[in-house]
Amino acid sequence: MSQLLEVTSLTAGYDDGPAILDGAHLTIEPGKVHCIIGPNGAGKSTLLKAICGMLKIRQGDVKFKGESLKGLRPDQILRKGICFVPQERALFPKMTVRENLRMGGYSLADKSGLERAIDEIEERFPILRERRDQHAGTMSGGQQQTLAMARTLIIRPEIVMLDEPSLGLAPKIVHEMFGIMKMMASEGITILLVEQNALMGLKNSDWGVVLDLGKTLFEGPAPEVLADPRIQELYLGGKKAA
Amino acid sequence: MEQIVQTLILGIALGGVFALMGSGLSLVFGVMRIVNLAHPSLIIAGAYVTYWGFKLWGIDPLVMLPIAAIILAAIGVILYKLVFEKEAKSAKYSEMTVLLTFATAMIVEGALGGMFTNTQRVTSPDYATDAIFFGNVFIPTGQLYAGLASLVIIGALALFLKHSRFGNAIRATTQNRDAAELLGVNVNFVGIMSFAIGIGLAGAAGSLVSFVFSFFPAKHWEWIAVLMSLVVLGGMGSILGTVLASFMLSIVAAFVGAYFGSTWSSMTFFLALFLILLVRPQGLFGEKPELA
Ligand SMILES: Nc1ncnc2c1ncn2[C@@H]1O[C@H](COP(=O)(O)OP(=O)(O)OP(=O)(O)O)[C@@H](O)[C@H]1O
Ligand SMILES: [Mg+2]
Repeated sequence: MSQLLEVTSLTAGYDDGPAILDGAHLTIEPGKVHCIIGPNGAGKSTLLKAICGMLKIRQGDVKFKGESLKGLRPDQILRKGICFVPQERALFPKMTVRENLRMGGYSLADKSGLERAIDEIEERFPILRERRDQHAGTMSGGQQQTLAMARTLIIRPEIVMLDEPSLGLAPKIVHEMFGIMKMMASEGITILLVEQNALMGLKNSDWGVVLDLGKTLFEGPAPEVLADPRIQELYLGGKKAA
Repeated sequence: MEQIVQTLILGIALGGVFALMGSGLSLVFGVMRIVNLAHPSLIIAGAYVTYWGFKLWGIDPLVMLPIAAIILAAIGVILYKLVFEKEAKSAKYSEMTVLLTFATAMIVEGALGGMFTNTQRVTSPDYATDAIFFGNVFIPTGQLYAGLASLVIIGALALFLKHSRFGNAIRATTQNRDAAELLGVNVNFVGIMSFAIGIGLAGAAGSLVSFVFSFFPAKHWEWIAVLMSLVVLGGMGSILGTVLASFMLSIVAAFVGAYFGSTWSSMTFFLALFLILLVRPQGLFGEKPELA
């Protein structure tokens, strides 16, 4: 089994605060959709932030293609091809849709193809063309999420990490977002998804990772994780906490 | 009628200068969340640079302007490295910077006083005392030049922020620092450069101020409330808002001065600051302030 990204016994937290992650591990295979599930406050978002370099790795390691990402800044990790779309979507509310897309290509060393790449994205996502001169902050939640996901495509990433793309969206729109995610996966982009709704997340993924209290409880093929009795238990507990 | 037009013209000309004085303050706040109470004292430093360039070598203040801007920008970088960079990680960053910038203002004032005494100065190129007449209405040439130079600089700043790659990175960092970093922007470098540009704008404003107002080291205390009122009315961090607020308040102040006497004219700004904070703390273009 060739691994694209490997997280081993990771410890991380915010500033000088307590360790939020303590013993998280994860293996990611190229081209697959991976889903991290777990109750509120389990550390799912924290794990993605640690992988992308926003948080310092205190112990353990994150290896991308066998190379440690320890100590790298977010912009350096991005340039290796790992994109992160956080829970808050990370748009620039008072910049236009087009300007947001252009910022998506900020890290590209070669800017010559940038405008064309943006044109291509607008072609694939007509709503972004329609709204190109509108401020991103004035769009609906689904449109904003579409922009955030589409924007990652500009640098042709290897891994895209999506933190709860379904958050606050109507079921029909959520379905659309999963559609975009699957399309990205079908183009060979490896996906690391965090999802509150375990059932929906796992059904749309190949691999499942269960995180609780900053630790990986277990991981495995999504259908197996879905069938595991421990999931039912954890989720009843998780719902109560929410 | 003539009286009204005259007052309006004087208000607009002054508004242009205030707009430049406020825009650097606004930029620094937008990107760095630093309320730079030392901004007006650095404007005065720029005024001194210009004054001595003119006095010693006869260099026109408008030619001194880019020189003052560059010198002050360099001072800005040094100041940032010495004073603010270490604190950037502190949880009490915003509160700290208020104290640090206050202290910086006192130090700048002290240094200027020590070097140049507290004598009132004014740079006096020929146009500073000239006026252009249209019938009975006049525009002081100095204020006209200063207002125009201001608008050119602010226009250039706006073009830079809107259309250059680095300008976009500055705007992006202002709007969402984490997101900018995630897209590959080196936000620390953006911070330093914005600080340099902001203080450079203070230097440029100082050149204009040097022939529009008379100045001395402690003069900055008068301006801090004026500039705060512009930045707050404009919506903290919005440069466009600051520029519009400058024109609005300067015009109002000109009319208040014309009809109630000049002491009341500066009261306009203080009263405006008070009212805005009470009624619409987010200003014209700002977001609603966080309640936390
Ligand atoms: N910026 C922060 N500073 C300090 N602590 C934080 C910060 N963000 C999150 N935490 C803490 O880290 C823990 C895990 O939070 P995290 O956001 O990773 O959970 P999550 O699994 O993503 O939950 P959710 O499903 O609610 O998004 C929580 O206890 C939270 O209080
Ligand atoms: Mg989360």
